[in-house]
Amino acid sequence: MESLLELKDVSIDFQSKRKSFNIIKNINLKIDRKMKYGIVGESGSGKSLTSLAVMNLLSDNLSIGQGEIILRTEEEKVLNHLSKKAMRDVRGEDIAMIFQEPMTALDPLYTIEYQIIEVLKYHRKMSKKEMREKAIAMLTSVGISRPEKIMDDYPHQLSGGMRQRVMIAMALITEPKLLIADEPTTALDVTIQAQILDLMNDLTEEHGTSILMITHDLGVILETCDRVAVMYAGQVVEESTVKNVFDNPQHPYTQGLLKSIKTLGDRSEKLYSIPGNVPTPDEYQELGCRFATRCPFAFDKCFSEEPPAFQVGADQTSKCWLHDEEANPNE
Amino acid sequence: MIIPVLFGVSVVIFFTLRVIPGDVAQTILGTSATEESLAALRNKFGLNMPLYEQYFTWMSGVLVGDFGVSMRTGAEILPEILSRFAITFELTILAAFISWIIAIPLGIIAGVKRNTKTDFSVRIISLLGVSVPNFALATILILVLSLSFNYSPPVGYVGFFEDPVKNLQILFLPAFVLGTGMAGAVMRMTRSSILEILRQDFIRTVRAKGVRERVVIFNHAFKNALIPILTIIGMQIGVLLGGTVIIEQIFSLPGLGQMVLTGINQRDFTVVQGAILFIAFVFVLINLLVDLLYSYLDPRISYK
Repeated sequence: MESLLELKDVSIDFQSKRKSFNIIKNINLKIDRKMKYGIVGESGSGKSLTSLAVMNLLSDNLSIGQGEIILRTEEEKVLNHLSKKAMRDVRGEDIAMIFQEPMTALDPLYTIEYQIIEVLKYHRKMSKKEMREKAIAMLTSVGISRPEKIMDDYPHQLSGGMRQRVMIAMALITEPKLLIADEPTTALDVTIQAQILDLMNDLTEEHGTSILMITHDLGVILETCDRVAVMYAGQVVEESTVKNVFDNPQHPYTQGLLKSIKTLGDRSEKLYSIPGNVPTPDEYQELGCRFATRCPFAFDKCFSEEPPAFQVGADQTSKCWLHDEEANPNE
Repeated sequence: MIIPVLFGVSVVIFFTLRVIPGDVAQTILGTSATEESLAALRNKFGLNMPLYEQYFTWMSGVLVGDFGVSMRTGAEILPEILSRFAITFELTILAAFISWIIAIPLGIIAGVKRNTKTDFSVRIISLLGVSVPNFALATILILVLSLSFNYSPPVGYVGFFEDPVKNLQILFLPAFVLGTGMAGAVMRMTRSSILEILRQDFIRTVRAKGVRERVVIFNHAFKNALIPILTIIGMQIGVLLGGTVIIEQIFSLPGLGQMVLTGINQRDFTVVQGAILFIAFVFVLINLLVDLLYSYLDPRISYK
């Protein structure tokens, strides 16, 4: 089966007056229908930019330098080559998005009703009454108990959890094929986080919606996703099923990430952390592996030549020279 | 809020006027007046009473709508203020209207097309608007128009209800001059608040819904940007309603500003303090109106 969304060699460049540099480099992803796909990485790894690129919502100084973002619904569309109008039809209709900060993601000057219905206004031919009914039904399905009252409320009258529910209702009301969730639970209380994740899982399962989950939280990935791509400094360093990545991480960065999770019953004093910081785009090295400066296993080749994504096992890739038998000095 | 502000203004204006050297009796009777006649005139105006008594006499009149009579002409002050205010009011409304027509669309365009040639041109225009003094623009305009188009500034003033066409002819040029001055500030505010709002998360949400860019800009960005814009517009209107001395002089319009200026020159205390108190009242009223508009626009703001 052909995948729903495919990113083929996508790079994103940043341009300023003085210089331009490459932020995201050669991303390859495939998200199948009904699949829950996670992108995990530290802040600054480019995971949010990747999702914004799919929606064609990058800010003016960022652009997709090369590659193709392909969406296959009834027909095949190359999103980064669509006209503005055609892209608007994709947004909200085929792909919907929810964001990290429910506090600021809704327009403070409009009622919840207006903001939910706004999606329908541009994608459906419905009467006002039908739209209102549909919005109320949707609010009920995201677990809001008095939807009629909420409809007339303004965002500032709702709690963070409620707003995120409203965002989900807004996103799913058109039954999109893909829901992009950019850190949907990061700004919420821990108890609410689980509720929101469950809600997203249930609703998307019901409608057969695929999810692209962007998060820095490995727990969220473990709980919701089927496959995961680990991003570091604008590149995917490892990609496989969630099970493979968690049980058998191949890339030193993924190994470091997993080691830095504190598990229950772990009594050791010190929390493991990967030495050094995530480099900023102007610090990315031209040659070699972008993780090499922080990698405990790095050897000469890691600084001189960029590693390709090695196929490791049946269904796992890892972008590391350690997998190259000829290059690896330890083997 | 209104009452203490107006009370403060009345006290300050009353006592400041009393500190200005020279008095009305002297200006009326001239330098050759005798001590007796000066004293008699001062007595007539109550100027020989203790200051606080003068203040209370004045205020007790004002509170019941009696602003007293001009020391110079003996005419009732309030009707004079109102008829002059009508002119200033019309001038202000016209000027504000002209400034909005110019400033708001240009400000929005500049904000949306940030750092493009359009943006730079708008910013230069707005800088010109802010920095060229009104009187300079007024005189230049009159000069250019009269030299190249045989235009002559209309003399005398005709009320709007007497002859609307003539009235607008008279007021257009001064309103245009004032309007361009206001436009600069409004343009800058519009541009910067549009810029700020466009960076907000909810704009991204609206775009992610597939809403047309025009709707994003007008229904969401502009509506949110309107609050700081309203603040500056309210201030400008408040200031203009207090009279624009220079423009009124240049275009010989009998507005409020002119009234205050002549009043001060003639030490006509009652006129000056009455007019200034009225101006303060209007200013406070405009601010109140702006506050009410805020709460109408923004559900987060409420006055209870």
